[in-house]
Amino acid sequence: MSTVLTRRPGVAELHPVRTRRRWSATKIALGISVPVLFVAVWQLSAVLEWVDPFLYPPPSRLVPGIAALWEDGRLVEATVTSVRRVILGYLLGAVTGLVVGFLMGMSRVLRAAFEPFSWAWYTVPKLALLPIFLTIFGFGDTSVVVLIAMTVYFFVWISVMSAVMAVPTGYREAALMLRANRWEMFRHVLLPAALPEIFVGLRIAAGVSVLMLVGIEFVISDQGLGYLIEQGRTLLLLEQSYVGIVLVAAIGYLFALLVKLVGRLFIRWAADDNAIIPS
Amino acid sequence: MDHIGQLTPSGAPGEGPPAAPRITVREASRSFVTTGRSAVHALGPVDLSIGDDEFLCVVGPSGCGKSTLLKIIAGLLAPSAGEVAIEVSGDHRIPIAMVFQDYGIYPWKTVRANVELGLRLSGRPTADRREIVDDWLARLGLTDFADVYPGALSGGMRQRVSIARALAIDPEVLLMDEPFAALDAQLREVLQDELLAIWQARRRTVVFVTHSLEEALLLGDRVVVMSARPGRVIADIHVPFERPRSSAIRTDALFAKLRGELWTSLHSEVVAQFDAGKDRP
Ligand SMILES: Nc1ncnc2c1ncn2[C@@H]1O[C@H](COP(=O)(O)OP(=O)(O)OP(=O)(O)O)[C@@H](O)[C@H]1O
Ligand SMILES: [Mg+2]
Repeated sequence: MSTVLTRRPGVAELHPVRTRRRWSATKIALGISVPVLFVAVWQLSAVLEWVDPFLYPPPSRLVPGIAALWEDGRLVEATVTSVRRVILGYLLGAVTGLVVGFLMGMSRVLRAAFEPFSWAWYTVPKLALLPIFLTIFGFGDTSVVVLIAMTVYFFVWISVMSAVMAVPTGYREAALMLRANRWEMFRHVLLPAALPEIFVGLRIAAGVSVLMLVGIEFVISDQGLGYLIEQGRTLLLLEQSYVGIVLVAAIGYLFALLVKLVGRLFIRWAADDNAIIPS
Repeated sequence: MDHIGQLTPSGAPGEGPPAAPRITVREASRSFVTTGRSAVHALGPVDLSIGDDEFLCVVGPSGCGKSTLLKIIAGLLAPSAGEVAIEVSGDHRIPIAMVFQDYGIYPWKTVRANVELGLRLSGRPTADRREIVDDWLARLGLTDFADVYPGALSGGMRQRVSIARALAIDPEVLLMDEPFAALDAQLREVLQDELLAIWQARRRTVVFVTHSLEEALLLGDRVVVMSARPGRVIADIHVPFERPRSSAIRTDALFAKLRGELWTSLHSEVVAQFDAGKDRP
């Protein structure tokens, strides 16, 4: 018994343009249909009374909830406050993380001096530090921003430092042969070589910054989406809580997407994704 | 970081046999201490004197320390003992260029930007740079790929980018570590001819590491054979073919004879190096 293995052009080879266009459409359709399906099941479970619709309000009940919050302006106000806080905190933390990460990635001495201490700080839950920040900066934006910045800082710092250290010797030696100085080594070798990994860290940090935001707003309960969620819970306005949660999720998604797109702008040389696996 | 600057010009030239040596290697050896294992004695002691504008080829079994020797000359690695002296004129910002075994070109730079990098770092004006880079891209057949990222190139093309980058800075000393090893036989011959023509038009001191005896005989003024690890010089052959040469000398009877001589001195070392790598009970 023998088998003949034939290799012929597949659909992708015969109709490359159509295949690519079809995949783009499929990708978007899949991305949308999963959350739509989720909402449908959620709605269904309330309609069929699998769960108590009072404790677990269905999506249809969120619409009047949004309308009410929209009318008295609280929705916009909370969203604006939260977005402002998260963006300021993220930028502050990401920039310091990038700077310190590169400095430590490039200097053995700095690493030896500060790495153990920094790791110790990293493991401290930042929410535990909230009372200290509240006494320093008072209730309000500053405390929230600084706390988000601290959280983001550690994620970015770690990913930048390890990305810089992982840059292969061959790349560094080639630059040394061209007599690059420290700045040139950074500019032409370490920064671009580390960028893909850095952007992974930046995306993770984007998600974490939103988590942190809601956590802080829960605890200090002054303004923002976290406050809206918390207030909804205590006053049993569960629709309000759910609206807040959905908004937070949307903001987190958009934020990570934004970081990804910015990354793509900087990283032109690498292919989007590597899809070769056994099918 | 800057080891290259620490290589002071040799104080006493003229002790080697030919004209004033450009590179003098005295009793240089190198060991590596790896964590958990005892030190690996990788190289030497090696004594070697390389003349000005000489094309020296180095052959030796895999793992005998050829790359290590080249890196010591390059200033990327310090010798554990002994010293290396290199004469440089002092007015060239990048006197020594190196073509690496594994390319060392940057995937995040286009072909043009890769070739241009040395010139850019040495502060050449943009117009100058463009002209020089265009010239080298054309000579190495890369003109059509100037604005492509290396990811989209074949292995042979990547290696040509690496060679163009080294040659574009017009160095006084050129170090090449198996630059053609990853190429197919035909492309390899094309690039050998190309390098031969380039070098004969504009002589430089070249240290060229290769596994191919033919390549060494075709390109080199001299061929040095190294022993199994720790690599020492066990044969030093003068290649008598007239310059300018072409690949036609491959069919010369003397070529075959020299190749045979080189192989004889190398053979037992290759076997020794191979056996040393086996796990023995
Ligand atoms: N950075 C390093 N750390 C530890 N050992 C090393 C290092 N670099 C080289 N060696 C060892 O030194 C020896 C010589 O290595 P080298 O790369 O110089 O060999 P080579 O002659 O260039 O071999 P090949 O022809 O395969 O390229 C090898 O045994 C290698 O394991
Ligand atoms: Mg080698």
